Amino acid sequence: MANPKKGTSQERNEFVWGWIFILPTMIGLIVLNIYPIFKTIYESFFKTGDFGKGNIFIGAENYTKMFGDGEVWQALINTFKYAIVEVPFSIIISLVLAVLLNRKMKGRAVYRTIFFLPMVAAPAAIAMVWRWLFNAEFGLLNHILGTKTNWVSNPKIAIFAIAVIGIWSIIGYNMVLFISGLQEIPGDYYEAASIDGATGIKQFWHITCPLLSPTIFFVMITRVIGGLQVFDLIYMVIDRNNPALKKTQSLVYLFYQNSFVENNKGYGSTIVVLLLAIIMVITVFQMWGQKKWVHYS
Amino acid sequence: MKIKRLIAAGLTATMVVGMLTACGGGSSDDGGSKKKGDALTVAIWDTNQQAGLQEIIDEFTAETGVKAELQVLDWSAYWTLLEAGATGGDMPDVFWMHSNEAVKYMSNDILLDLTDYVSKSEKLEMDKFPQDLKDMYTWKDKVYAVPKDRDTIAMWYNKKMFDEAKIDYPDGSWTWDEFYEIAEKLTKDDGSQFGFAAQPSNEQDTWMNMVYSMGGTIVTDDNKSGFDDPNTIKAMEFLDKCVKNVMPDSNTMSETGTDVLFQSGKVAMISQGSWMVAGFKDNDYLVENADVARLPKDATTGRSVSLYNGLGWAASAGTGMPDEAFQLIEWFGSKDMQLKQAELGVTMAAYDGVSDAWVNNTDVFHLQPYLDAMDDTVFRPHTNSTLAWWNPMCEELVKVWNNEEKMADACKNITSMMNEKISEESY
Repeated sequence: MANPKKGTSQERNEFVWGWIFILPTMIGLIVLNIYPIFKTIYESFFKTGDFGKGNIFIGAENYTKMFGDGEVWQALINTFKYAIVEVPFSIIISLVLAVLLNRKMKGRAVYRTIFFLPMVAAPAAIAMVWRWLFNAEFGLLNHILGTKTNWVSNPKIAIFAIAVIGIWSIIGYNMVLFISGLQEIPGDYYEAASIDGATGIKQFWHITCPLLSPTIFFVMITRVIGGLQVFDLIYMVIDRNNPALKKTQSLVYLFYQNSFVENNKGYGSTIVVLLLAIIMVITVFQMWGQKKWVHYS
Repeated sequence: MKIKRLIAAGLTATMVVGMLTACGGGSSDDGGSKKKGDALTVAIWDTNQQAGLQEIIDEFTAETGVKAELQVLDWSAYWTLLEAGATGGDMPDVFWMHSNEAVKYMSNDILLDLTDYVSKSEKLEMDKFPQDLKDMYTWKDKVYAVPKDRDTIAMWYNKKMFDEAKIDYPDGSWTWDEFYEIAEKLTKDDGSQFGFAAQPSNEQDTWMNMVYSMGGTIVTDDNKSGFDDPNTIKAMEFLDKCVKNVMPDSNTMSETGTDVLFQSGKVAMISQGSWMVAGFKDNDYLVENADVARLPKDATTGRSVSLYNGLGWAASAGTGMPDEAFQLIEWFGSKDMQLKQAELGVTMAAYDGVSDAWVNNTDVFHLQPYLDAMDDTVFRPHTNSTLAWWNPMCEELVKVWNNEEKMADACKNITSMMNEKISEESY
């Protein structure tokens, strides 16, 4: 948008209307996102009172407490464990599915719908269904496998069991993004490659992957952020008495516990500021790293 | 195109991060904007009570012409909603209060002061409600809630399993040691059946009753932790013996839940509160196989103590319809509606003497033990900010259930944790 003072009346008009059109989004962003970010950072320096009244400034005390809090570090490890499993698997599986479902085949729409279905279901409902599938006593999974594994209450494997639910519920969404990316790749490239004798696998590595890399990058960034923010699955599947709770609770779970259950919003905010910092660092890192592998045509 | 996508990615990233932090805070003040003629919003957290309360509300509307809408949430969503509403100034008009949270709400002027209304009311007979319960919802001589119900605890047992093992049904004269022997007999070595089940979070309905029966206490009279009392420790060691020998492992209990284990014939006995009856009587397996007995006595003290708690009906201080809100609360607290609540089997009544009707609300179980339990009750232990130590207390016990810590050590840790939290209380 040009400086209106120098421009014609039409330019001035466009300037004004431009702002009017983005205003709703701007207001939404400021009220719902930007203001709360600063408010949260602000609150992390306070011992908060009930119902937002009587906050006492305590400087960096919440931060000192957090850096010495083993529970927070364990939650950080749990969060990373979850993200490290969920992100790559959800991307690889959905990429393969997208490539397979991007061909002309019978029942393509049906398959696409089936894989996308978990995205439509409420996360809480998904978690409840999986909780019963995983149940050691009456669960379908143990019934089929003939085992007695405590999928969601063994501290060693529970977080991975939850990651499986996460993968299952997100592949449909990733797949749709990949399919739209695949459809932007001109068919000529594949035709030319076939004439030159490239096999399907070779075409995948040398045509599909490079040309799809911007989409892969987008999915990766959003999934890493989403994975690090995991909460609802853990909240629904892991009961407070669960022996695996300490080894599965994520940072957001801990934030919820502190802010809304134990009513210590100051400390809860501190935890979430830590998560914010971590996500920012990782995202900046990814933005920098993309130069090496993302191809924009 | 590709550049746009990159920008989109960046924007999405900021937005998602923002969404997360959006939960952090923020407050606005639009207050109660309701006028006469609007419907009151009523919030509760128990689906089992929905149908019965709806009937009582319908009668209220027919009688007074004031409309009311009933909302049901689950326990944790309820408190999140109420707190957000209290902070932001948009609360339901009439809602339940619980002893865990009451002080926090009363001391911050979130609740409507009902003192004058109550003293002028012709329908309410406050002297018919239990004193502890009234005290719970009174802060600095002001009344903030009218008692809604009360509960007691009793032991549920599986008749089929007792028959199979040729053990007589408990008649309520048993001791905790006899109870343990029975539980041991009903525990099968192959892990297909267990005598008893309880989790760390079954405090009010299970292990705290053992503590008080055996002469222990959770909070002492001078507001200190009771976990260093020898009798409390004795009871906790008894509980530990049950956990180790007659219960399913903690994984199974936490994955499935003790009530579901009982409903599916895995566990012979569970100790449960009267609030569960409404749900249990809809379960075919339990209707056929289960019944109720009074909690065991302790051999030394001779007491069979049941904890009790009760909810209160409160109104929002910011409601636009305070008179109508109180009218509804008064309606719920009146003798007729307390009786009706009991008859419909919603819960036992807080009003003295009408709970006989609750016992007769169903003929599938013998609920008399719940009424008998009123002979020796202790009000649910609490301090001014109960939740601050209540959850850490349960968390510490999870370690005992998982064999990561000895019960004696857990009691020591809980004692120091509780004393620290109680000394920090700011009210």
